[in-house]
Amino acid sequence: MEFIRPDSIDAAVAALQAENAACLAGGATLVAMMNADLVAPERLVSLRDVAALRTAMRQPDGSVVIGAMRRHRETAEETDLRDGQRVLSDAAGQIANPPVRNMGTIGGSCAFADPAADYPPALAAADARIALVGAEGRRTLPADAFFVDWYETALEPGELIESVILPPAPAGTAGSYTKLARVAGDFAIASVALVLGMEGDACSHLAVAVGACGPAPVRRRDVETELLGGGLGDSEIRRLTDALADGLDPVDDVRASADYRRRVAPRLVRQAIAEAKQCLSGTQ
Amino acid sequence: MTGASITLKVNGADRPVAAVAPWTTLLTVLRDELGLTGAKRGCNQGVCGACTVTIDGEPVRSCLSLALNCTDCEIATVEGLAPAGSLAPVQQALAEGNALQCGFCTPGILIAAHALLRRNEPLSVDEVRAGLSGNLCRCSGYKKIVEAVVRASEARP
Repeated sequence: MEFIRPDSIDAAVAALQAENAACLAGGATLVAMMNADLVAPERLVSLRDVAALRTAMRQPDGSVVIGAMRRHRETAEETDLRDGQRVLSDAAGQIANPPVRNMGTIGGSCAFADPAADYPPALAAADARIALVGAEGRRTLPADAFFVDWYETALEPGELIESVILPPAPAGTAGSYTKLARVAGDFAIASVALVLGMEGDACSHLAVAVGACGPAPVRRRDVETELLGGGLGDSEIRRLTDALADGLDPVDDVRASADYRRRVAPRLVRQAIAEAKQCLSGTQ
Repeated sequence: MTGASITLKVNGADRPVAAVAPWTTLLTVLRDELGLTGAKRGCNQGVCGACTVTIDGEPVRSCLSLALNCTDCEIATVEGLAPAGSLAPVQQALAEGNALQCGFCTPGILIAAHALLRRNEPLSVDEVRAGLSGNLCRCSGYKKIVEAVVRASEARP
């Protein structure tokens, strides 16, 4: 096994062009898997010294570019995330525990793509894009297209995640992440990432992504769009949760049964919307 | 396999280590090469917190940190909390509060608690519980640990 510590994105991409090479970001997942003899890359490319991956920048248009090596703790405290973009910082603050949040990175978490992790639904609800760089150049993908299947992403061999890009959220929207877990810091049994805007009693913005209930976050943009402009009462929320339920594909695992996840996910959606409406009416 | 020769800065001292393989964790180097056995190998998966040390002042898992990635860092272990023969306030607080049984998790808890106490303000039970949520203890039930850390935070000037 080789260990390489490049200090630029170009050098990191060059180092990745080898058989069985892997990026080492925060180590929270990769080193745990190495310790368990589950993976043994022939070349480790540590991104620790690539300063360009460590920054988060708010752009003039209000979008925020978060470098792949930003730690969960930094994203949880990120003041550049505003309005509905806060869905991502809310999720970051609920990942694992303080020492792991000091290590784990948004790029590493996205690359591993654990369906029960906290970032995937938050990124889906925020309409985030994932920026990738490889030997062929750069490309960006919407979160929906990046998270492909159980632990599978659109990353090609030799490619690395450069950043996560959050578009501006409409002013006055609220972002929240609601997670059901056995104990604080565990992976989710089910989770709901929400970006909500209300103008008076009318819904002006709605994005709901359910996590940990299938290979990738589940959203129903068609129903979200239909509900815009109306009141978000019990029957409207029911339409959304019924539609989301059709898209869920949960499994039985040590945390909960698939059946339990199906039962609890709609309740989490209702809870998240109720809390966000309360929060928005308090600020108006 | 020939490993790399590196120097780690641990508890303020430069510590050379020879033949470090890429997969060698900081925890392994601390325990097996440097004789610093305070940090414990519990799960080796980043879950239990017994291996917690600080890197550049922040608590992290030494079992998930590769040693070759830790050069140019300030590493601190439980052995560095206070000079030999004396106790740091957080150590004193846990001892006085009988806040341990077998002691296996204690070094990790001390490091996490010490980092919390740097905020230099009285901490609530909830704040301490959140701050120590990454440290598992299988025998004490946590209550005395949390109480001791809360007391240590209140006792500070």
